[in-house]
Amino acid sequence: MNTIIKTFILLLAAVSMSFAQGFKVKATGEQTFNFEDKRNQVKFFSTTPLEDITGISNDVKGKVTLNVTDIKSMKGSITISVASIKTAIDLRDEHLRSENWLNAEKYPEITFSIKKVGDVKVVADNKLEAKVTGDFTVHGVTKETVADVTLTYLDASEQTKQFAPGDLLGVQAKFNIALSDFDVENMVVGQKVADEIEITATLRGSNAK
Amino acid sequence: MNSKQKYIILVALILIAVVLIWWLVSGGEILSKDGIWVEQEISELDKALGLEPQKVYQEKFILGLLPHTAVFSGAVIFISGILILIFKSKKIKEKK
Repeated sequence: MNTIIKTFILLLAAVSMSFAQGFKVKATGEQTFNFEDKRNQVKFFSTTPLEDITGISNDVKGKVTLNVTDIKSMKGSITISVASIKTAIDLRDEHLRSENWLNAEKYPEITFSIKKVGDVKVVADNKLEAKVTGDFTVHGVTKETVADVTLTYLDASEQTKQFAPGDLLGVQAKFNIALSDFDVENMVVGQKVADEIEITATLRGSNAK
Repeated sequence: MNSKQKYIILVALILIAVVLIWWLVSGGEILSKDGIWVEQEISELDKALGLEPQKVYQEKFILGLLPHTAVFSGAVIFISGILILIFKSKKIKEKK
C-alpha cells in the first residue's frame, strides 16, 4: 500500500514539474529583482483624430520575486509617481496632475501588483512570454488588468556587469486601460484624450543584494 | 480708407504671415510644446534583455497654433483694428 502511495506522490510531483515553466539558466530557486534603474520607463499613449499624446515616466520602482524554474510563482509590484509623467507640454502636465485628472496630490502613485501568471510560452531558454494578471491602481481605483509580458533572464556576465551586478531580468509589458474605468472623467476624454490608453513598460531589474 | 489705414492692414498681414510661416516651419503642431521625445538607439544589453527602444525627453520649444500663434495673430488683428479706428476718427475730425 505504501509503495502505491509513494508511486502516486512521485507521479504527481513529476506531472506538476512537467507543467512548471521557467527559465533554463544557471540560477536556481527563488530570485528577487529590484527595478531601480533610472532608465526604466513606463509610457502612456493616447490617440484621437485630433491628437496623439505620449506621456512618459522614468520614476519607476518595484520588486519582483520569482522561482527561476516556475514563472507562475512570480509576485511583486511596479510603481510610478504621477508627478513624474511628462507629456512634452508643461501646461498639460500640470492639468494631468490636477484634481480634474489624476489628482497627484491625493493619489500620488500608479501601481501594478502581480496576482497570477498564465499562458506561458517558452521563446528561448532565457526568454518567456506570458499573460500577467494584476491589480492596476490609478486615481485611487483598482481594477484587475491583464498584461502581455516578455521576460528575459540574463545570468551575470561581463556584459551585464556594465549595467549592474548580479543577474538581470528584462521586462517588456503592454496592456490597455479605459480611463472611465478608473473614474478619470473629463470633458476632454474622448475628444483630445482617448478613453483607451495603451501602457508600455520597459524595465531592467537586478537581483544583486 | 486712407493710406495710413492701408499701411496698418499691410503691416498686420505681413506680421500674421510671418508667424504662420514660422509655425509651419516649426512643424505645424496644433499645441505649442516645451519638449520633444527622441527615440534612443537600443544598446546591445537592452537587445539581449528583449527590450524595445525607449524615448528620452529633451527640452525644446516648438511653436504651436495654440496658444502662441493664435494669440499673436489675434493681438495683431485687435491692435490693427484699434489703429484703423483711430485714424478713421482723425480723418472725420479733420473733415469737420
